[in-house]
Amino acid sequence: MRAVSDSLRGDLLFGALAFTLLAAVDLGLGSPGLLDFTIRFATFALLALSLNLLIGVTGLVSFGHAAYFAMGAYAFGLLMQTGAWSIPAALVAALAASALFALVVGALCVRLTEIYFAFLTLAFQMLLHSVILAWIPLTGGDQGLMGGIPKPAFLGIDLARQDHLALFSAFCLIASTVILRQVVRSPFGAALRMLRDNPDRAAFLGLSVFRYRLGAFVIAGTFAGLAGVLMSLYVSGAFPSFAFWTTSGEAIFMIMLGGITVFLGPIVGAALFILLNDRITALTDHHGLYMGAILLVLVLGLRKGLLDFVVEAWRERKERRS
Amino acid sequence: MAQQRNTGLSRRRLLGAAGAAALASPNIAFGQSRQPIRIGVPTILSGRVAQLGISSRNAMQMEVDRFNAAGGLDGRMIELIVRDSRGTPAEAARLAREMISSDGCEFILDCEPSSGGFAVHEVVRETGTLTLHVNSETSSLTADPRQRFWNAFRVARQGIHDSIAGGAYAASVVRARNLRRWMTISPDYAYGRDTTAEFLEYLRHFVPDVQVVGETWPRLFQPDYTENITRLSQGRPQAIYSCLWAGDLVTFMEQASIFGLLANTQFFGVNLADYTTLQQIRNLPRGAHSGNRYLRNFPDVPGNRDFAAEYNRRFNTFPTNWSWQAATAIRLLTTALREVGGTSPRAVAEKLRGMTIESPFGTDGRVTMRAEDQTLVGYAIGWGTTISTDPFVENIQPADWNTIFRLEAEWKRAKGWL
Repeated sequence: MRAVSDSLRGDLLFGALAFTLLAAVDLGLGSPGLLDFTIRFATFALLALSLNLLIGVTGLVSFGHAAYFAMGAYAFGLLMQTGAWSIPAALVAALAASALFALVVGALCVRLTEIYFAFLTLAFQMLLHSVILAWIPLTGGDQGLMGGIPKPAFLGIDLARQDHLALFSAFCLIASTVILRQVVRSPFGAALRMLRDNPDRAAFLGLSVFRYRLGAFVIAGTFAGLAGVLMSLYVSGAFPSFAFWTTSGEAIFMIMLGGITVFLGPIVGAALFILLNDRITALTDHHGLYMGAILLVLVLGLRKGLLDFVVEAWRERKERRS
Repeated sequence: MAQQRNTGLSRRRLLGAAGAAALASPNIAFGQSRQPIRIGVPTILSGRVAQLGISSRNAMQMEVDRFNAAGGLDGRMIELIVRDSRGTPAEAARLAREMISSDGCEFILDCEPSSGGFAVHEVVRETGTLTLHVNSETSSLTADPRQRFWNAFRVARQGIHDSIAGGAYAASVVRARNLRRWMTISPDYAYGRDTTAEFLEYLRHFVPDVQVVGETWPRLFQPDYTENITRLSQGRPQAIYSCLWAGDLVTFMEQASIFGLLANTQFFGVNLADYTTLQQIRNLPRGAHSGNRYLRNFPDVPGNRDFAAEYNRRFNTFPTNWSWQAATAIRLLTTALREVGGTSPRAVAEKLRGMTIESPFGTDGRVTMRAEDQTLVGYAIGWGTTISTDPFVENIQPADWNTIFRLEAEWKRAKGWL
C-alpha cells in the first residue's frame, strides 16, 4: 500500500513537472506551429499509449483500436452540435459511449487470441466505419460531421483558442499517462502481464482471464475515446477516416517506433511519428515510400522500438559496470 | 586605460553600425515589400486520385508564373506551398493550420475533394484566413447558410448546377427518342447518391413520366463491374445514367463495351468528358452523352485552346476539370489583389464578392463570384455526344444559366436555405 502511494506521488510529481515544462515551452515560445504540434502529439500519444495497454501489457494485438477513437470523436461532436451540452459533460458522455462500445465489442473479442482476436477487432472497426458511411442523416456519411463543433468556454478555459486547447490536450495526455501507469503498476496490471506471459497458469491460479482482458479492453477503449475527443476539437469535426484501419495502423506504427516494453515508448513513438510525418510531407510527395523505408529500417535493423533499444543499451552498460 | 580603449572602440562600432543600418534601412524596407505572397494548397498528390492534386497544381503554377512574370503585386511574387494530405481530412486540416501558422500563408487555395474540403473549411472558419475552395462540388458547402462565412469562397462547378443542366439536356433527348425506361449506375457514397438523386429529380421535372426501373451502386474503386452490368442488362433500360468518374468510369465503360451493354442503350455520363477519362477508354463508343468536365473545344474560344496548348506543352498531358477551376481561382485572386493593391483579407474578400472576370471557361467569356453565397457561376456547362477521336465530344449544347438559377433557387427554398 505504501509502495503504491509512493509510486502515485512520484507519478503525480512527474506529471506536474511535465505539464509545467510543456506549458512553459508552449506559452513561452507562443509559436502556433508548436501549439499545433502539442495538440496532435497529445492526441496520438494518448491513442498509442492506450493501445499499448492491450499490445504491450496484455499481449492482445488489436487492429481495431481506431473504432473507439472514432466513437469518442463522433459522440462528442454530435453532442456538442446539439448546443445543449457543456464541454465537460459531453466529454464524459463521449468517454462513456466509447467505454460502452468497447465493453460490447470486447465481450465478443477477448475470448479469442492472436490472429483471431486481431481480425475480429478489425471487423468491428470496419463495421463501425460502414455504419458511419451509411448513416448519413446522423454522421454526414463520407463527408464527415460538418458545420463545426461549438466550443463554449468552461471554467475560464476557451478551447476555441489554440493555446488553451494545447494546454488542455497536454493536461489530458499527462493525466491519462499517470492513470494508465498506475493501472499498469497495480495488482490488476500485474495480472494482465501474467495473462500475457502465461494465460493458462493465470487461469489455474484462479484469475478470470475473460474479466481481466475485458477490463483492459474497456480501459484502453475509453482512453482512445478521449484521444478522439481531442482530435474532434482540433479539426472541429469528425470524419469516417477516424474509424478506418489506417488510423489503427498508424497507432501500431507509433508503438513500433517508440517501443512496446517501455511504458513511455508509445509517447516517444507518437512524437517521432508526427515529426517524421510533418517533415516528410513538407519535403516530398512520396510520403508512403519514405515512411515505409523508415519502418523497414527499424524492423530489420533495430528489431525493436527506439526506447526499447535505448533502455536495453543503458541496462547492459549498467550491468557491465557493476 | 583598457577601459578607455574599449569605450573608443565601442563608440566607433556603434557609429559604424548606425551608418550601416542607415545605408541598409531602405534595403530592409525594400526587402520587406518584396516578401512573397504565400498561398497554401492542401490537396491529394498520391494514390488513386493523385491527378486531382497534380492537375490542380499544374494549372495554378501556370497562372502564378504569368502573374509573377508580369511583376506580381508591386513586386511581391506569389509562392505556392502545395502539400499532400493523402486524402485524409484530419491531415488536410493539419496541413491548412500548418500553412497558416508556421509557413505564413496569407491565403488558402483548398484543392481537396469535398471530405477534406469541409475539414479545411472548419479550420479557416476559426482562423479567418481567406480561402478559395477549388475542387469541392458538394452543393451544401456554399448553398447551406450555416456553412457560410465571410472568408470562404468556392471556385468550382457544383452538383446542383450539373444536375439541372443534365436533367434539361436528358429531357430533350428523352422527348426526341422516347426514352422512358431508365436505370442508374453510380458510386456508392454521398456524392454518387446525391448527384444521381438530383439528376433524376430534374429529369422528372422536365419529363414527369420517366420511369426508373432499377439502380445499381458499385463501391468506390471497384475493379470488376460484371455484377452491375448483368443487373443493368436484365433491366433492359432504354437509357442509363451514371456519375461514376475517372478510373472507375474507364473500367465500367470498357467492361460494358465487352458485354455490348451500350449498343442499344443511350448512356448519360456526367463525368465522361475529361481528357484523363476520354483518352484512357480504349474503344470510346460513339454517341454516349456526356456533360463537359474540361474540353478544349468547349467553350470554343482561343483563350481556352491556348490554355490547353500551353498546359500540354509544359506538362505533356491535357488539363482536367480541376485544372480550369484551379486556374480560375488564381485569376480571381490575383485580379482582386491587384484591384485592392494589397493582401488585406477583408478587403480582398470584399472585392471578390460579386466580382466578374473575363474567362475562357465562362459560358459567355466571363465568370462571376456570386455575392449572395460566394460561389462561382456562369462557367461553361454543356452536354454533347462522344466520338472516338479528338475532339472526343461533338454537338455540345450549352446549358441555360437562367434555368439553372431559377431551379437552383427553388431547390434552396425547398431545403429551407433561402
